[in-house]
Amino acid sequence: MTQPIQLDAVDHKIIEHLRRHGRASNQQIAEGLGLTATTVSSRIKRMEEANMLRVVAVSDFSAHGFNFLMRVMVEVDGRPASQVAHDLAQIPEVFATHLVTGRYDIDMLVALHGLEDLSSLLLEKFSKVRGIRSLVPSIVVDIVKYQFDVAPIEARS
Amino acid sequence: MADVQIDELDLQLIELLSRDARVSNRKVASELGVTEGTVRGRIKRLQQDGLIAFTAITSFGMAKNSRLAFISIQADVDRVREIAHEISGLPMINAVMITMGQFNILAVCLISELDQLVETASDRILGIPGVHHVETSIAVKTIKYNARMAKITSRGVVEDDGD
Repeated sequence: MTQPIQLDAVDHKIIEHLRRHGRASNQQIAEGLGLTATTVSSRIKRMEEANMLRVVAVSDFSAHGFNFLMRVMVEVDGRPASQVAHDLAQIPEVFATHLVTGRYDIDMLVALHGLEDLSSLLLEKFSKVRGIRSLVPSIVVDIVKYQFDVAPIEARS
Repeated sequence: MADVQIDELDLQLIELLSRDARVSNRKVASELGVTEGTVRGRIKRLQQDGLIAFTAITSFGMAKNSRLAFISIQADVDRVREIAHEISGLPMINAVMITMGQFNILAVCLISELDQLVETASDRILGIPGVHHVETSIAVKTIKYNARMAKITSRGVVEDDGD
């Protein structure tokens, strides 16, 4: 496990800059914040090594041909919900899986190329997962806001 | 969404940059076996078309508001778009989707305290005219989340070269 590190005001300023301009050079960031390029470089490296920061390209669903998004709420029966959630997370079309409180046990987001993929998803993939009592889908018809710059960060391989 | 033009090289470029966006164009070019000019041009086009955006992702652990919660909403169908926009302007709301199903709006928020969820859902959202019912659930554990894929809403912000 990587040890968490304490971030100071300089780190937060660098993060804010990177949120807006992820590919800015160390020199450009340094000039904007009154630092040296070496400081910027070592600060970014330190945060990345502690698995606290990743500077990445985020791609639109449509870039991958995913034109059909669904939220699916899952009711579990006769099996621990975490096991069911782990099985569901193995399915490539499922891009988010959360164990949740409330009426349902698992909340997930599914991305499909089109409606025609639905039958194989249901009949060949979801149906192989034991412990699903019911699936309650909602079709996403419009995304008004989608702002996630906080996420679980996995260690680099 | 209809006429997205993406080829194999674009996808390879996206894959590479989704691991680390701070690699230089020169390194990307040599890995993909193309020229730096091609890399620069492709990145620019993908950004202009709203297909990729570069950003910093920070871990849940260090965020002040790190608890993910879902607010499922039943609202008047004829005002659903207006209501969704109003909800998207509330504090702590990270995502708002209009859906067809048991609920017609899904709002996702990041909170630090439970009372913030109650205030957002039961006071602010339920107080909006046309909203009839809200249900909340808290994500106790995230099993899978791919932050590299999203709906990019700010189109065409073209950035620096990465040289």
